[in-house]
Amino acid sequence: MMNTQTDMCVGARYDELTSLVASIAGRPTGEPAATSNANAFVLAEARLLDLGRYDDWLAGFTHDGVLWVPLTPTSHPGVDQALYLDDRRRLGERAAWRTDPSAWGQQPASVCVRTVGTVEAWTDGATTVVSSAIIIDEHRAGRSQHLAGHQIHELVDHASSCRTKILLFPALASGLRNPSFLL
Amino acid sequence: MTTTSDLSGLFGPDRVHRRLYTDPAIFDIEMTRVFAASWCFVAHESQVPEVGDYVTTEVGRRPVIVTRSTDGSVNALLNRCTHRGALLVHDGAGCAKRFSCPYHGWTFANDGRIVGLPFPADHPASAAGKRDHLDLGRLTTATYRGFVFGTLHPDPQPLAEWLGAASEWFDLLVDRHPGGELRLAPGVQAIEFAGNWKLSWDNAADGIHATFAHHSYNVLGRSNSTDTVLDRDAAVSPMLARALGNGHMVVDQRPGIPHGPWATMRPTPFSEQLTTAFLERGEAASDLDLATGSMVNLSLFPNLLFVGNQLLVVEPVAVDRTRLRLFLVTAPGAAPEIDQLRLRVDEDFVSFGTPDDLDMFERVQAGLSIPEMEWIDVSRGLLDGRDIADDDGVVTGPITSEAPQRGYLAKYASLLTTEVTTRVR
Repeated sequence: MMNTQTDMCVGARYDELTSLVASIAGRPTGEPAATSNANAFVLAEARLLDLGRYDDWLAGFTHDGVLWVPLTPTSHPGVDQALYLDDRRRLGERAAWRTDPSAWGQQPASVCVRTVGTVEAWTDGATTVVSSAIIIDEHRAGRSQHLAGHQIHELVDHASSCRTKILLFPALASGLRNPSFLL
Repeated sequence: MTTTSDLSGLFGPDRVHRRLYTDPAIFDIEMTRVFAASWCFVAHESQVPEVGDYVTTEVGRRPVIVTRSTDGSVNALLNRCTHRGALLVHDGAGCAKRFSCPYHGWTFANDGRIVGLPFPADHPASAAGKRDHLDLGRLTTATYRGFVFGTLHPDPQPLAEWLGAASEWFDLLVDRHPGGELRLAPGVQAIEFAGNWKLSWDNAADGIHATFAHHSYNVLGRSNSTDTVLDRDAAVSPMLARALGNGHMVVDQRPGIPHGPWATMRPTPFSEQLTTAFLERGEAASDLDLATGSMVNLSLFPNLLFVGNQLLVVEPVAVDRTRLRLFLVTAPGAAPEIDQLRLRVDEDFVSFGTPDDLDMFERVQAGLSIPEMEWIDVSRGLLDGRDIADDDGVVTGPITSEAPQRGYLAKYASLLTTEVTTRVR
């Protein structure tokens, strides 16, 4: 229940996130030109993250950018716990934390290999909506985790900046070891 | 074979043996004597508000379905068909009048009674005219302030006795919610670590680790000019640690945070917008404390931890593997911004604090694999004269005291070394 204009802004942003997730299933085949542009973005993002170039990765987000990692595809960020829902400020904190030598949960740091595929994109007015599959293989401290899911991006500025990124991993509901590598 | 005498030798007044964390045979004993025969948290009533609602959980590795049956009562049923033993429902939650086994069609009402036996003429129970022995197994249950506990002990002590001195702290955590009403948000987060379940207990009332293990969390706080609750000098902090008896523990951080809980929180996503809306409507600034934890961390032995606004349910998986299930507690009677803030506050420690705890647990488990180094030290505060025991056996010490750990381990030792025959109702 939202009572004020300010609350409405937060609620509207949350509703955008759920609408974005819900919209993917009913979309037609991806648009070739949009898909080609978006493919370059999501592949480059995966490379930046694999290399730990977090500042460069952060630079790809708009000032109102959001990263949301819900526990289920039907979650609502104003009702349900998420693994995280970061605004631009907390994204910066997350990046800083990962490189803090006293952040023991990432010391040693996870070594990740991201594989992105099944990329489709659509132009929605001034934005580009991108759906892709993502596999993250994480290796840390002598053990590995393999995680498969989907990601959704809302890109702006001719698919050069990310306003919204959503990561959907079914394994989150059943138990993951130290998920702090997830980006 | 592990005998009671063997087990008794694993405990000392100031130390415990590594085998308690590494021996699969001891783990198997624990699952019955420490978990199944104790009062374990199985659900909060808000998780099953309507008739037919159910959630799944575990008690000592036993799959359990908690249901709201037609008469409104909450039941904890063993998730095992009484025919061949198949799970009736997979992990999760839902609403069902009946549970039908997908293997051979045996069907049970949501209070556990068998109501459908395909091809009944072929089953001796039909000939005998009596088939209640085919009902689902059930735990004995009792409820305190909406929290449902279950046990397979053949003659359990009353839940109120089991909670004992923990009750007043339990009440405090419930009563801070307007009208004493709280709910669990529907989603549950599961996190596993490669370590024994007791590592989470050792940690839950450990007042010193915050300075070291959570240094990075405190660094983030300082970057926003925020003194987190963990960023305090344990040597001089007036925070208190208590062993409450029956294995329950509490850490009371309130004396060490003079500006209240909300002052210990960094800004979280959208928190400025939400707090502005909250205050512009005339809500009291002090009520923002509800958006973060009470600063009282209560641990109810053996499987429920209150940390912040989260419930952590400890589910042992194997001697060296544990699952934590994290629930968010909401405050339906508070202004709507409170729960909106709680959602993002909840994620904050899970993001920047819990990973460090998980890493410590796994480091300890790995270190305990060294057989020549047998003992774990829990002596801090034992002889310095600052731990004070009252007439009820509650031991209160400074935040640096390991009195809570010694308290829970004493109860654990008592349970582990006492044979019990569990009973399914």
